[in-house]
Amino acid sequence: MNLLFPALLTVVFIFTFSDPEMGMSINSVVPGLVVYAVIFIIMTVAQSFSSEKKLLRRLNTTPMTSTEFIGSQIISNMIVAIVQVIVVLVLAYLMGFRPQSSFEGIFLALPVTAIFALSSVGLGLITATISKNPEMGVGLSFLFILPQMFFGTFMPLSTTTQEIAKFVPSHYLFEALKSIFEGNWINTNFFFNLAIISIVSILTIIIGIILYEKHGNL
Amino acid sequence: MTSEVKNLLKELTRKELLEIANQKSIRIPNNWSNQLIIELLSLNVTSDYLQKNKSKTTKSKKTSDNTPIITIKNLVKKFEDVTAVDNLNLTIHEGELFSLLGPNGAGKTTTVNILNGIIKPTSGNAIIAGFNVTKNPDEVKKIIGVCPQDASVFPFLNARENIELFGNLHSLSKKEIEERTDKFLELLGLTEASKRKAGGYSGGMLQKLNLMMALINNPKIAFLDEPTVGMDARARRNTWEFIGSLKDEKKTIILTTHYIEEAERLSDRVGIIDYGRLVELGTPEELLQKHEAKNLEQVFLNITGRRIMEGL
Repeated sequence: MNLLFPALLTVVFIFTFSDPEMGMSINSVVPGLVVYAVIFIIMTVAQSFSSEKKLLRRLNTTPMTSTEFIGSQIISNMIVAIVQVIVVLVLAYLMGFRPQSSFEGIFLALPVTAIFALSSVGLGLITATISKNPEMGVGLSFLFILPQMFFGTFMPLSTTTQEIAKFVPSHYLFEALKSIFEGNWINTNFFFNLAIISIVSILTIIIGIILYEKHGNL
Repeated sequence: MTSEVKNLLKELTRKELLEIANQKSIRIPNNWSNQLIIELLSLNVTSDYLQKNKSKTTKSKKTSDNTPIITIKNLVKKFEDVTAVDNLNLTIHEGELFSLLGPNGAGKTTTVNILNGIIKPTSGNAIIAGFNVTKNPDEVKKIIGVCPQDASVFPFLNARENIELFGNLHSLSKKEIEERTDKFLELLGLTEASKRKAGGYSGGMLQKLNLMMALINNPKIAFLDEPTVGMDARARRNTWEFIGSLKDEKKTIILTTHYIEEAERLSDRVGIIDYGRLVELGTPEELLQKHEAKNLEQVFLNITGRRIMEGL
């Protein structure tokens, strides 16, 4: 599911949005598709942590701590995020995406996206904390997914929404990836964007772990 | 001949009588008096059989000594306005099979969850094998096995994988895990189904798997929270035998149940809990004698004015 969804999204969105008449080329859509894939980790984490509360509670009676369990989930989700980027990029390449950067440049997209995945896991944990069941977890996760989808990717923004986007973490990942794929990351705000992504992600994951351990019925 | 058998039977406790009935596959209704059970058994057993059985029960009784392994002092747990555990004081001895008996919602699971470190008490404390459950939960987790009320297993793994995973979490060797897994699967009759994904198991099979996962680490103390809920009569009997065999391994077992027969058959001592308070404590025989009751259900009824299955 974690891989099928971004693959499907890539194909559908490239067909739908990469139309020069709409002012969008395939190259401007792809960074947003990578962001989409990672944002949806919020939903999968919220769902799995809501449905596995009893199991997590049981694991907590073994020498393995809940922090270790959550840690393993974080690592696996970061790996999933990296694989998602690869899937999106390979599919996009097959559909005509031609990034301006070198291979090494594109490689940079992987760790940057993996760092951002931390924020998705953190938001997923926050969602799972307040969810009573997996269905509620999926529903509530859209409170975090939708703003990031619409304000933080390639959707056309008005002056007002451009201001809102500054408060949406995915906006900074989108900008960072755009500069990587355009091959001019060294001359842009890339490091500023990376700093914002890192700070927000670390803060979100810490808050997520604390809230889930304290109030997530562990 | 029959009178000799009867005399031998009269020397036995109710629990021992029920054990013999179980061995002979004789179903004894809960409301039967000891005298009635003796009459029935005298027609089905010989004095030789009883002599052999006596040596067995004596051996099993010796598995419990009087060294305290769990000490609970003034334990209180409140959930907002509800007091789930109300000033509980209790000592459980090493090698003892201790049952916490009470209706649903009486505070049995909350007590067990405090003891195994899942939830923190509002006040009071509990010491397990010398470790304070609040201050040294990691030490406690190394020596306990917990079988939760709801079967909590990984549905996408098969029985063997689920058990092995828990063995690995307790850092057991591969050989030890394999040996114990094979033994448990055979004892509980799950060998054939062990390669099927647990997600497709029936309620009874899940409960058995739940129990095996709790015991894979060969724990010194096992917390079994309603381990036979959802099982049919045959599976329940099979599980009782399995739990009984744990006593031979000198394990301390804390069993929470609302099944009277389960508590009567298995327990060395029973603590009756109601509204979070320990209202009675003793061996099943002591409680029956003290309350002049035929079974523990009647004991509970005498104390609380309600039946256990009625709940709170």
